[in-house]
Formats: sequence, C-alpha cells, structure tokens
Amino acid sequence: MNSRLARASVTSFIVFIVLVPIYWLVSTSLKSNKEITQEGTLYPHVPTFDNYLRLFSEKNFGAYLTNSLVVTTVSVSIALVLGTLGAYAMARFRLPFLLERKIGLLLLTLRIVPPVVILIPVYLLMLRLGLLDQWLGLIITYTAFNVTFCVWMMESFFREIPVDLEEAAMVDGDSRFGAFRRVTLPLAAPGIAATAIFAVIVTFNEFMFALALTATPKAMTMPRGTATLIGRIDTDWASMAAAGVIGALPIVVFALLVQRHLVRGLTMGAVK
Amino acid sequence: MNPKGGILSMNPKGQILTKQRLQGAGLDLALPYLMLAPAVLVVLCVLVYPFWDGLRASVQAYRYGTAVGWAGLDNYVRLWSDDQFLNALWVSIRFVFLAVAIETVLGFALALFCLREFKGIRLLRTVLIIPMVITPVVVAILFRLIYASDAGMITALSVAIGGGQVQILGDPVNAFIGLVVLDVWEWTPLMFLILLAGLQSLPQEPFEAARVDGAGAWRSFVDLTLPMMRPVLAIAIVLRTIDAFGTFDQVFVLTRGGPGEATKLVSIYGYDTAFKFQQTGYASAMFVTVGLIVLAMALTAVRLLQKEAQE
Repeated sequence: MNSRLARASVTSFIVFIVLVPIYWLVSTSLKSNKEITQEGTLYPHVPTFDNYLRLFSEKNFGAYLTNSLVVTTVSVSIALVLGTLGAYAMARFRLPFLLERKIGLLLLTLRIVPPVVILIPVYLLMLRLGLLDQWLGLIITYTAFNVTFCVWMMESFFREIPVDLEEAAMVDGDSRFGAFRRVTLPLAAPGIAATAIFAVIVTFNEFMFALALTATPKAMTMPRGTATLIGRIDTDWASMAAAGVIGALPIVVFALLVQRHLVRGLTMGAVK
Repeated sequence: MNPKGGILSMNPKGQILTKQRLQGAGLDLALPYLMLAPAVLVVLCVLVYPFWDGLRASVQAYRYGTAVGWAGLDNYVRLWSDDQFLNALWVSIRFVFLAVAIETVLGFALALFCLREFKGIRLLRTVLIIPMVITPVVVAILFRLIYASDAGMITALSVAIGGGQVQILGDPVNAFIGLVVLDVWEWTPLMFLILLAGLQSLPQEPFEAARVDGAGAWRSFVDLTLPMMRPVLAIAIVLRTIDAFGTFDQVFVLTRGGPGEATKLVSIYGYDTAFKFQQTGYASAMFVTVGLIVLAMALTAVRLLQKEAQE
C-alpha cells in the first residue's frame, strides 16, 4: 500500500514537471500580449485565437509550413530508398577488403559527430552551387544526414531477417534483386516505418542548417521561421507562444501515435 | 547446396560455385556495389567533401568571407590565446558535464523505480516521449516563457504570492543554470529509456541468489546492478555527451549566448565567428578542433555500439 502510494506520487510529479511548461506555452498562446506582460495571469482570462490567425495572415507561417512539409517529405523519401538499398548490401554481402565494414564505420562516425562541425563548409558549398535560400539546398543536406541514419538503422533490421527465406526464393529461380524486392523488403516494412518516423521527426525539427542556408520565407522551415519572431528589444510573446504550439503540435501528435517505433531511433539502435 | 555458409553469405571465391545456378549471376556480382553506390555517393559529396573543405578552409586567411591566402596553422595557434574561445570551451565543458551527470543520475533512479511493472507506467512512458520529440527551438521557447522577467511563469507565480519580478535570463549564473535545467528536462527521458531497457535485459538469477544469501537491496545494487549495467551506462553517457557538445538551437533561441558570455557554448561562438564576423578560416579551425575532440569520443561510442549491435 505504502509503495503504491509512493509510485503514484512520483509518477504524478514527473507527469506534472513535463506538462507544466507545455501548459504554460498553450496558455500563453491564448492570451493577448497585454494580458501576458501587464496582468501576468496564470491562465487566459480572455482566451483568443488572434495570435494564431496573425501568424498565418501577417507572419508567413503558411509558407514555413509548406516549406517544412516539402523539404521533409522529399529528403526522407530519397534517403529511405538510398539507405535501404545500401543497408541491404551491407547486411548481406561480404565485399573485398572488408569494404562494407569500413563504409559502415564511416557512416556511423558521420552520424555521431555533431553536424555543427560541417556547417561552414556546407554553407560554402551551397553558396557556390547557388542553392542558398532554396528548397533544393536543404533537401540535399538533409538527405545526406538521413542516409547515414537510414543505413545504420536498416542494416540492423535486415540482419534480423533470416537469410533462408531469400535463399529459398533464389532456389526457386528468383534473381538476387528479385528475392530482395519480393521477399526481404516486405518483411522489413516495420523497420522501414520506424526508420522513416524517426527521420521525419529529426528533419522537421532541424534548425541550425535551416538558419545558415535560408534567409527568406521562400525556403524557411518552421523552426527557422519561428526563430524570426524573437526580437532583440521587445518580443512578441503571444505570437512566439502560438508559433511554438504550431511548430510542436504536428510532431508531438505524430510521435505519440507511433511511439512504439520511436525508442530504437532515439537511442541509435542501442535499445530494441 | 553450399555447405559452408549458404548462397548468401559466400565470399567471392564461393561465387563461382553457385554462379550457374542463379539467374542473372553476372549482374548479381555487381549488385552489392550498385546498391551501395548511391548512398555512398551522396554522403561523400554532401558530408565527406565538406569535411575536407573545412579542413582546407581552416588553414587559410579570410577577409569578408573570401579566402585571401595561406595561413598555415595560424588559425589553430590563435585559438589558444583567444579568451573568448577558451571561455566558450569552458562553458561548454561545464554545461555538458553538469547536464549529463544530472540526467544520468535522474534517469537511472527513474529507471530503477520503473523496473517493476505498475499501473501508470504506460502513461509515464508516453508523457516522457514528449520532451524528446518537441522541436528544440520550441523547447527553448517553452523555457523562455518560463524564465522571462516580464512574461514568464516564474515571475507570474512570484507576483501571485506577492513577490516581484524574477531575473533569470538577465543574470549570468541563473541563465547558465536555466540552460542546464532545460537540457535536463529535454533529455533525462532518453537516459531513462536506455537505462530501463538495459535493466530489463539483465539476467535474474544473480539477484535471486543474492536474495537467498541475505543481501539487501543496496548491496545487490552496488555489487550486481552497477557492474552489470556498466556497458549500457557507458553507451548512454557517451552518446549524450557528444550530443550535448553539439547543442546549438536551444541556446540560440533561449539566450543567444548571453548575458555577456555566460551561456556562449563553442557552437554558438563558432557560428558567430563564421556568420556574424565572417572569419571563415578561423571559425573552421575552431570547428575542426571541436570536431577532433568529439571524434575521439565518437569513436569510443561507435566501438561500443557496434559491439552491442553484434551481440
């Protein structure tokens, strides 16, 4: 009885700690700026949706949202195709000079080193290619980062699928690639889904490269657009809170729907 | 069939044996390379080439964003007499150490607490997903809204009980603590999930044997749980340390490095050096140096992860 009470109180405490900042964000987003700075109320006394409407009518959030959706969808899709092919080759073939091991090590190292290290050269590359402030510049960058992740994740999924099934298909006259496409790929579908989910979340949330590579609503993504609201002198708290809600909502809903597949990605495959 | 390892795990020598048996055997030989090539090509062009380019930029002198000449190792030498860089490095190290230590202890405690199934654990796990997946920029906004001296929750609470404005982001010490608190809020759940999975995969027999021998909870924690959890703890701590070293978004939005330089991490200082002050070569040298420090840590992490993945 006693330990059950202790569990319940610790659980509620943690849930409280996690949710309080989120409550405050949502509550602020429903207040007017006057109520926020002058009255300091603990909940919106006069709830209003003006802040949200203003984001779309005055602050280009429609464009940011479109940019984010396009860039995320395209780069994750390409990375999934390239990553799945590469991962299968690495999981199933033994190449001369242990080539597949070396490539694996390279990809994983690139994945782990903080991206800030290549921020400047990637910026210079895009500058030279004339791809600054364009979807394509972001798409190329995100695709590369996602490929390193997709290969690493998918390889471990492929390793869990028994080889015998492909062998059987090949004995029955299937080609190597045919066996991969018709037998292994369908079996790997849950793994592909888990990889895609994680890649979508990371890509949608990315800020640093978006900050360096985009400058106008033409290509700015949601996090990048949200950061434009932060002024040096006075801050439009109400808009900022509303932008926070809009920026976080799709990803949180998405993540909660698919939470079972998330943990493996978050822990780089260390936890299954 | 091939008795030594099946068709699919054969080495190049074994391929002659099965070649005639498979359709399209010629294409099959090239298949692994065809499958790997696109992924490797993208990574080489977009990630590896820039690495090399960054190295090259770090030994050149830049003026207004264009290279004007060879600088040798000047940029690297300059780093160690640049007070701002040394300060940024020191802030980063303190931030990473504090945040990761607190996250590890809290995450471990929570994981031990949740080891036995109980009602409400599913709610807890669901709720703990949220901080990790919220856009980091929005996490920073969350905490700005809590800390802000005019609109913040802390000030609102203090006013509600009759106090005045509370300064957090305007005060060097408080701002730094505020940043650590943000990171702890955002990433303790990850520690918790990794360590819980680790705890759940431990064998049960040693614990039962210890209980039979009359060992208390504390004894079996120190003598059994801790040593057996060492590899998982190591992975979790190394991964988190590397990640924390690259922290950028949250600081950029929360404090932009201020007040003064109290929260100016290396990533922020490097960004400013490159994009605000246009000292591309010097900033590159800085990132190469930081990259090397982290690479050393990363290689350790990679070894651990690969060992774990093969088990």
